[in-house]
Amino acid sequence: MDGDIIRTSARDIAKLIEPGRVSRRVYTDPELFELEMERIFGRAWLFVGHESQVPKPGDYVTTELGRQPIIMIRHSDGTVRVMLNRCTHRGAKVVNERAGNARYMSCLYHGWTFDTEGNLVGVPVPEGCTASFDMKNFGLALAPRTGEYRGFIFASLARTGISFEDHIGSMKANIDDLVDRAPEGRLALDAGMHRYVYRGNWKLQIENVLDSYHVPFGHASTVNKSGVQFARREGDEKGAVVVDAKEKTSKDWQGRRSYDMGHGHGWTSNTALDEGRRSSPAYDEYVRVLSEKVGVERAKEILTPKLHNSLIYPNVSIMGLNIHVRVIKPIAVDFTEVVVYPIRLVGAPESMNFGNVRLLNVTHSAASFVQTDDVEAFGRAQKGLQSLQTEWVDISRGLGTESPATDINAMTARATDEMVVRGQYKAWLGYMQEAV
Amino acid sequence: MDGVDKDLPPMKSVPGVDRDQFEDFLHYEARLLDERRFRDWMGLFTQDGTYWVPAVPRQKSPFDQASLFYDDRTLMETRVSRLGHPKIHVQTPPSQTVHQVGRPLVEAASEETGEYVVSSTVIMVESREDNQRIFAGRQTHRLRRDGDSFKIIQKRVDLVNCSAPFEAIAVPI
Repeated sequence: MDGDIIRTSARDIAKLIEPGRVSRRVYTDPELFELEMERIFGRAWLFVGHESQVPKPGDYVTTELGRQPIIMIRHSDGTVRVMLNRCTHRGAKVVNERAGNARYMSCLYHGWTFDTEGNLVGVPVPEGCTASFDMKNFGLALAPRTGEYRGFIFASLARTGISFEDHIGSMKANIDDLVDRAPEGRLALDAGMHRYVYRGNWKLQIENVLDSYHVPFGHASTVNKSGVQFARREGDEKGAVVVDAKEKTSKDWQGRRSYDMGHGHGWTSNTALDEGRRSSPAYDEYVRVLSEKVGVERAKEILTPKLHNSLIYPNVSIMGLNIHVRVIKPIAVDFTEVVVYPIRLVGAPESMNFGNVRLLNVTHSAASFVQTDDVEAFGRAQKGLQSLQTEWVDISRGLGTESPATDINAMTARATDEMVVRGQYKAWLGYMQEAV
Repeated sequence: MDGVDKDLPPMKSVPGVDRDQFEDFLHYEARLLDERRFRDWMGLFTQDGTYWVPAVPRQKSPFDQASLFYDDRTLMETRVSRLGHPKIHVQTPPSQTVHQVGRPLVEAASEETGEYVVSSTVIMVESREDNQRIFAGRQTHRLRRDGDSFKIIQKRVDLVNCSAPFEAIAVPI
């Protein structure tokens, strides 16, 4: 563990972030991590889950927001409720299963029972309750604010703060890009999940999802002798050209762009990977079904690769290439869990969806070809950052050369620059300087 | 998609099948993995062979659900090539492993087609850098007779902790 002690005044926190660099302590200091849990994960709009995970009344999943145990359950009126998975009596976690269906949720310890809205509806041995005891005051704590966009459910554990609309607004188009690929216009996160952990700080992962600089080096082992990565999508003949003949980052790769959307959000563009050469019986059938549903022109527009990866700060990324939703769960300053949900495009031929599920196994499972080298990098970063004499972590690439992307009210830079990481630390500072 | 889930008819007993030949084969396979002879290991599989490590207990299909591994020959080839790449960072330094394979149980056999289903417990201890960890579970091999040995139609490893989060896994179990 880190020996650093910092005082938590806004002024001191501001000293950790400078233009183009951040203090190593944002990755290594346990006290700062505790503050992050309060001031970011206790307050920001966080992705909880997708409505397709709880299709029927009583269906629930349990998860964590930061470290706090959460139940997401569909009530009998069809709405999805988000509540803390903590008995209001003595604090035990009420629901222990990862997923299931329940009309009532009973605490294992003393049998307090709650309904799907969180109301306390049963207390054993009621004669022991004091005269002033009112069951109405002992419902499971609801997330103070929830928001939903096209099936993506978010919650904030704070009563006040930026509205859901203001927070999510600039990223709606990125969600649309994915959802529109489903012929029925909706997604299903019902194909299981991948879970991996690494011995590093949570921010290493959210920085990485928008990092196009590392690919030719970090993922060298996924690139063949002619500089081409293995095929990563159903129907692809081959993957992206990552490295050129001189073993330098390819022009194609360098041509990618990144976008800072404010609030810590960002995304990176995709180049026309294998455009026109993507074909397989499953993929061709998918294109036919989608075209039938939305028209040939619109289908073409939907299927033109635009996004590589999008980050909705602070805890979820949506990948447009190997389609998935990835949730980041900080556990300790130097330990992080990541959950990766494959996506089923509802209405697409199942063989197409199966192909996506299968290829995600080799790109983002704990045993994948791609993600394993990333987590190795995160672990080594966490080790390297123990060097006390080198205070600063450099994130200055492209500083001062960003330009406005006026059509989407964003700033843009080369995807191999670090503008989007600077954007994340701007948001970080905003949350961290404001006491709860 | 390759159709690998052609279930053999269940048999109550498997008379006349010599268990030793399976035991020898499974130990040989494990030794190839422990010696990091991944290309030779891949050579044990049929051309349409698959290697599957489910991500949930009793997983029914590798197609509609995420798996830790579900490699057909193409993906296996990519995996094995990558394991031989000088810049595979997650294997710098490489893992050292040792497999312990339990006594095999012949679950099903068809002498006509020369196909057998053999299950055994497996424990793999992996050491890398200063860390050691254990993978444990039951492995089920679907084998086809090939001369005086076998080819693997499917190897499935059901880990006891398959749903848990894992640190990076680089080598097959």
